[in-house]
Amino acid sequence: MFQSLEIFELATARARHASERQTLVARNVANADTPGYRAQDLPSFEEAFRASSPNGPAQLDLARRIDAPGPASPNGNTVSLELEMVRGVDAQRSHSRALMVYQSAMNVLRTSLGR
Amino acid sequence: MSGFSTTLEIAASGMRGQSERLRLVSQNIANADTPGYQRKTASFEAMTAIGAAEGAVRLGRVNLDQSALAVIYDPSHPLADAQGNYQGSNVDLVIEIADAREAQRSYEANLRVFDQVRQMSSSLSDLLRR
Repeated sequence: MFQSLEIFELATARARHASERQTLVARNVANADTPGYRAQDLPSFEEAFRASSPNGPAQLDLARRIDAPGPASPNGNTVSLELEMVRGVDAQRSHSRALMVYQSAMNVLRTSLGR
Repeated sequence: MSGFSTTLEIAASGMRGQSERLRLVSQNIANADTPGYQRKTASFEAMTAIGAAEGAVRLGRVNLDQSALAVIYDPSHPLADAQGNYQGSNVDLVIEIADAREAQRSYEANLRVFDQVRQMSSSLSDLLRR
């Protein structure tokens, strides 16, 4: 119902991007000691948004992965727990920011309906 | 697009793997003075079971460290040979402690991620509250 309003669409896309990114962080951290594992990340939201701009943010491409190597350890693993912590906090904050935008847009909508 | 439950599953698989690794370390430390004991090692691998989340891990097969056992001189030991030597274990306590510390650190990182995802999903359901 709210999909047609651009601000809701945008906030939803941002939240989905953040949650997908958090999944990748979880994957990297879980594989922090797997030999030969290479750390992955999503392209930034700005990049993904620009790539999807003709179709609108609802068609955001979340399947593309980029290599996000930290310093490699002797067994070929490139996960750096410190970097993953930073990415995790980043994803969490952008997720809550997106939800806040959604919430306040909802409040504007409610006010304009007089409820 | 994967939901929060998949993410929680991945973090939980990491924690399970790390705690199993800690169990191997404690077995090695407990047997540091057992004659003829070879230390156990295992490495992580991707979970391949059907229905497992992509990116979940588990601890692979347990291997025995094939390096030479320590030769200890003690003529009064029941296992001592004619020269008074017997073979101890190949456990190096320093390595085991370092391994345990690393397992703990990784466990805590997984726990942190788990907590973050939990907060994210609860703030999402807060949207439904007025």
